[in-house]
Amino acid sequence: MFGYIIPDKPDLRIWEFEVFRGYYCGVCKAMAKRAGHRGRIVLTYDCAFLALLLDSLEKEPVSGKQKRCLVHPLKKRYIADNTSAVEYASDINILLSYYNLKDKWQDERNLLGPAGMAVLKKGYKKVKKKYPELVKEVEEELETLRELEQRNCDSIDEVSEPFARIMQKVFLYGKKCESAGKVLGWVGYNLGKWIYLLDAYDDIEDNIKNGSYNPLVVQYKYSENESVESFRERIREKTEFVLVYSLSELEKAFSLLDIKKNKSILDNIIYRGLLIKTRNVLQMGAGCHEESL
Amino acid sequence: MKNPYEVLGLKEGASVEEIKKAYRELVKKYHPDRYRDNPLSDLAEEKLREINEAYDILMKNANNSSQRQQQQQQYQRQQQSQNTGSGYYGGGYSGNSDYVYQIKMMIQNGNYAQAQKMLDAMPVRDATWNYLQGLLFLRRGWYDRANAHLRRAVEMEPNNMEYRDALSRVNTQYNTYRYNNNFYRGGYNNNPDMCSICTTLWCADSLCECFGGDLISCC
Repeated sequence: MFGYIIPDKPDLRIWEFEVFRGYYCGVCKAMAKRAGHRGRIVLTYDCAFLALLLDSLEKEPVSGKQKRCLVHPLKKRYIADNTSAVEYASDINILLSYYNLKDKWQDERNLLGPAGMAVLKKGYKKVKKKYPELVKEVEEELETLRELEQRNCDSIDEVSEPFARIMQKVFLYGKKCESAGKVLGWVGYNLGKWIYLLDAYDDIEDNIKNGSYNPLVVQYKYSENESVESFRERIREKTEFVLVYSLSELEKAFSLLDIKKNKSILDNIIYRGLLIKTRNVLQMGAGCHEESL
Repeated sequence: MKNPYEVLGLKEGASVEEIKKAYRELVKKYHPDRYRDNPLSDLAEEKLREINEAYDILMKNANNSSQRQQQQQQYQRQQQSQNTGSGYYGGGYSGNSDYVYQIKMMIQNGNYAQAQKMLDAMPVRDATWNYLQGLLFLRRGWYDRANAHLRRAVEMEPNNMEYRDALSRVNTQYNTYRYNNNFYRGGYNNNPDMCSICTTLWCADSLCECFGGDLISCC
């Protein structure tokens, strides 16, 4: 996961912002519990969203407390309690970050990889023990993804499939009830597709420079006498179609969920945040604001 | 049984007008047309049924159920005409309409692997093939290819309404989300700024003065 799922902050009311950040902090705290304080460094907004979405399907009101934490010791902050949704999201964060670091090491020999893996090792083992089925399925999909990347797959649909399915499974697992699971799965699938392809577009320049695999570069046949900028321009509309269409499918699935709380925050993310992020990465200059929390 | 007000997202004791408005919006939201190419279409149908029931109960209380019945009949008629419509166009595929129908049903029922097998076995890659392949990819989440196949189908048979409908559904869905009301409702970046408020006031003042009145007396 790459931290692309964020709300449109200026459009959030202050309490909404506090609640969203509360989930973010809650996931962070849960991660520290599972993987030690150093395990917090891999925290992403994507998993805060996962916690928010899953918890919003439960009818109990949002629970949390004003607390101090190690990372922000000066001011008390609202931190969501360690509900099952928050804990699950934090476990997923550890799991996916671990694989991401592993990937970094295998692909780029980036030393951050083994360093991070060492930090997360303990947490990863715990998570693996807790969800053996999920971990097995995720690892199989990652293997497929590796194969596709290694044989220079020239279809963005095909190569984005494994990651989309990983996310599908992650969301499906979050809720065992069958029909809600199916809907959540489709939210996850499309989110995964969107994340994978958005990341690919984001990385075009780097990938071209060091000659590493990028599905967009392969499918749309980047040629050497073309500048990176004009290539990005050339494929912008086509990429936008797939990205926005994925989001529109996600929105349909989301409409079918029985959201019990935090509806306005989720709406903000799904109808604004994701679109703004898409535009910013595609550099469409929507004049939109984006800040870190 | 759920509380009908809750189903329509209303507060207990909402007025007839409010009920109607909420109902209209929800029907639009869960309309089968919107979920036609989506793997969750059965769940959307279920949701719509729930909404219809809730509306019926509430309107019966308001002694006004005849209107909904009318709407429902109208809607059923629409459905029927659509069904016969697709049957007719499907029949255009000479001698193979049964085969095509089977593939359509498989896509509808989520039996994607079998549908793909049958598509692979088709001897020609004509407009129908492209159309079906497009529908299948759409359901599976392979949007790039789906779009390409549907376009190809329309290019090959520009007069076939069924193919054109499918392609235009894709475009409508894309644009509806891309330009969704929540995004373009005029949020913080579209509100009138101080400058345009002042200009508007100034304009209004000048106009009033033209007619001998005055809006802002100090200028």
